[in-house]
Amino acid sequence: MIARPPPDANPIGRVVATELKPSTPHQFHFWTATETSIGIGAIVKVQEGAGSTEQGAERVVYAVVTEGFAYSDLATPLHDVVGAEGDPTRAADAPTVRQQIRYWTAAVLRHTPEEPLQPVPLGQVFLADDADVAQALRMDGFLYSATPTAIPVGLYTSAGRDAPVYLDADFLLGPEAAHLNISGVSGLATKTSAVEFLLASIFAHFPAHKGRVAALCFNVKGPDLCFLDQPGDLSDEDRQRYERLGVPSTPFERVHLYAPLKADGVNLNTLRTHPDLVGDVEPLTWGLQEVVDYAEVLLNRDDIDAKADAFIDYLRDRVLGRTFDDGFGTTHRVQTFADLDRLFRSIFDGLEVISGGRGDTWRTHHIATMRKVRNRLLNISTRCKGLVTDDGPSSDLPWNEFEDRSVYVIDIANVDPLGQDLVFARVVSKLREQLERRELGVDAVVVFVDELNKYAPGDGPDTYVKKMLLDISERGRYLGLVLFGAEQFRSQVHRRVVGNAGTQLFGRMDMDELATPGYQVLTPAIKSKLATLPIGELMVRHPHFTQPIFVRFPKPPVLRGRDGVERFPPAADVPFEDAVVRHLVRLDRRVRPNQVKDLIADREQDDVRRALAAVRRTRPDDVLAYFRKVLGARVAPQSAVPREHHAVPPLNPISDEPY
Amino acid sequence: MTWWQALIAAGAVPGSGGKGDEPGAADHADLVEGSELTTHPVGDHNAQIPAVVSFLNGIERWHVVAYDGVAQVVSAFVAAAVRRRDKHGVLHTSVERSRAFAIAPLQSMSPALRQILEQSGADVEPMDGALAGQPARYLEQVESTVRRVRAHLEREIAEACIDKLGGDEWLVLDGLLSRSPSVARHPRALGVIKSHGAQFLEGRGLERALTLPAGHRTSVFAVRGGHTRTEVYSWYLRLWPWEGNDLFYGLLRIEARAHPDTVARASDLSGWLFAERAPLATPAARWDRLLYPLHHVEEYLKALAPRDIRSHRASRLPRTGT
Repeated sequence: MIARPPPDANPIGRVVATELKPSTPHQFHFWTATETSIGIGAIVKVQEGAGSTEQGAERVVYAVVTEGFAYSDLATPLHDVVGAEGDPTRAADAPTVRQQIRYWTAAVLRHTPEEPLQPVPLGQVFLADDADVAQALRMDGFLYSATPTAIPVGLYTSAGRDAPVYLDADFLLGPEAAHLNISGVSGLATKTSAVEFLLASIFAHFPAHKGRVAALCFNVKGPDLCFLDQPGDLSDEDRQRYERLGVPSTPFERVHLYAPLKADGVNLNTLRTHPDLVGDVEPLTWGLQEVVDYAEVLLNRDDIDAKADAFIDYLRDRVLGRTFDDGFGTTHRVQTFADLDRLFRSIFDGLEVISGGRGDTWRTHHIATMRKVRNRLLNISTRCKGLVTDDGPSSDLPWNEFEDRSVYVIDIANVDPLGQDLVFARVVSKLREQLERRELGVDAVVVFVDELNKYAPGDGPDTYVKKMLLDISERGRYLGLVLFGAEQFRSQVHRRVVGNAGTQLFGRMDMDELATPGYQVLTPAIKSKLATLPIGELMVRHPHFTQPIFVRFPKPPVLRGRDGVERFPPAADVPFEDAVVRHLVRLDRRVRPNQVKDLIADREQDDVRRALAAVRRTRPDDVLAYFRKVLGARVAPQSAVPREHHAVPPLNPISDEPY
Repeated sequence: MTWWQALIAAGAVPGSGGKGDEPGAADHADLVEGSELTTHPVGDHNAQIPAVVSFLNGIERWHVVAYDGVAQVVSAFVAAAVRRRDKHGVLHTSVERSRAFAIAPLQSMSPALRQILEQSGADVEPMDGALAGQPARYLEQVESTVRRVRAHLEREIAEACIDKLGGDEWLVLDGLLSRSPSVARHPRALGVIKSHGAQFLEGRGLERALTLPAGHRTSVFAVRGGHTRTEVYSWYLRLWPWEGNDLFYGLLRIEARAHPDTVARASDLSGWLFAERAPLATPAARWDRLLYPLHHVEEYLKALAPRDIRSHRASRLPRTGT
């Protein structure tokens, strides 16, 4: 994998140690010529003479440059002023250049041999070549082993080198360590690009003996992740980097994009609605069954109490999906939000009618608790209409059939924050459940969550989502559930979320952020470099690397979100009939639009939606025939029984209730 | 108002100084430019700077390392180097030589110690044993010996450098040009003298020379300098205003070959040397008279000097029992 270039015999510097600035086992200082190719982040090697140790082995110390100084023999700035007679324009006229020094501080990455650990010797300093970089970063252990687990993360390009840098899959995707966190200011296309490249790299290099891997990405803003299957523009330089890293410079082959529907129930709520691409987007819609297990997500801190929990558990265990007698003479089978609403109305009506308005308890649950739970549950179908269907069946991810090397993108950018939380909670919980049962179809899943500042803030209330992220961070690696989190301000993300990330990437950072305590271990020079880091360059911290390393990664091989929107402008929402046609044609190209339009003319839109969802779920061979059958079977009014209660005086409007 | 303030107010030039250079023997000078020693402004500073110049300087170190009775055995080190300034203004070493040696009154030493010293393989400069009993005079002689060795080394290097000097390259050496006849006759060699113990002028000429304004030179005069008594042309050049300091402040004496061209080019050469004021040769004590490249050569040699020969700054207080 790594070819050793001809050895560069010329030293570029020499270690110096003084009483005030001595060499230690972890740090040393060296000087170089004024004209030198090294800079902050360069990896160097100190070589003591061969056979100089007691064991007779050559002692080599690898280190990364963390600080640089330049000074001259000028005793005081005043002397320069005097020499130029106070005229700055004359300062450059001096015929002799003052003696200068380039003086560097380097942090030790590795000693060979490792023991005895001693101060860095006063040896010559050389630039590290590719093999040296592998040694310095302890990559040799997982790069050259019988079962290599190396995942390229970028190229070490300091000092004119071009050496691949690898992460250890055991420490990136578990089980030794796991998770990745990336920080950086917004707008530089670094965080998302880095994750996209890294996913491509993982898919290309994830070792066969570790099984199958997939990625699930939440698209939480704009069109960021909507075009992962479309090729982006790559420069020749980028292609060379891909070649050097052994990663194909092609977009992801298997991308499954899911997006909720809009409130009309047929148009997709995503920016990937261009006619050429919208056919690849699967609707994501959930019904009551999918939502009720995550009812906690919908409750705020004030709502969370034992009574509400107990009532939700009661609904979940005794009511949902079962034939249920409400005690007031009506039998229910609650499968949808509409069914649930009917049940609540029946209960409240029953309490009102039977006890003359004085009854306040039903099956040990107080009416206030029931009203609160009812409001929260039914509210979600209103606020997240399109994601949560009132009475329709669900369209969900293939929880048992995740494909190897596939990316699943869930576009929730335009979903209500409550809905985003719900999607996140349910998806991650389902992933965990399926991974625990080994029924997901893959052995490891990378979950990419952007804006961790928002979902797992360091302060603020303990939300369900935050608890879930903490749970993944702390226990996910045993299951193969790996969190790739991104945020602008790492200091504002929960400490345990970032702390559990075995691998940390840093793009260009804000100086204010760098002034926070979390960055105190970095030298001022490293901070300055971080604050001015160009696009495509990252600082990497990984368990095998004892010091942060700067790498350059190629532009991702996929179409960037903003470019995608320009190349594939989103289509305007189509009328209901056309949207239905589009859905059906996508499933079966034999379907004629006119046939569909004739079929759904004068039909209730809810009936059509139900029929469409049934077709999507069933995927029949003859789509039109099945659609016709379902539409015909469900279009008739089901029962008049629940509507009998309409005669009962209505309760106070929900919005007026103090719950 | 103090009495000296009254003097200054009445027209005296303010000054500040103390004991200057050691007085040397008065020497004879013949004016070769004009009929009276006058002052001349130096030429355009930057226009005259040669593209490539070599600078020669040397260092000397010595200290007593042992006593045989009152006979003092000295360890000495001299070194000299030429550093060549390229067209970018960067100095590179082109020639470098050094000598570490012992100075000992062999005849006055005890046989056992003398045998050890002789058998050690050390490079020994013998001293007159008669002086060994007079430590102060002995040390003066030691100092003189070390200077002589250094001068010899510098002369050797200068002669070697002159032979290899490029077509447009100049050699500037710290001290007398006239130590070596071949160097003294070279058309592109200059000696820069910072010490003014030896007086060449008298009367009105001397006063003009010692009150020379900054950026001015004196008329050229011919001198016979050094032990070779080779004739060279010389003139004084003031780098920095002396007012408020002492008469020698910023004052250089330049030596060049005895040739009419030297007179013709004296102002231009002075302009070049005047431009060498920057960068300042600080923190050297005599930075006002020390050209930075020559200071740089000195610092270079100091850095290479053996550690045990450098002057130590440790406390000389007696060690206590604790």
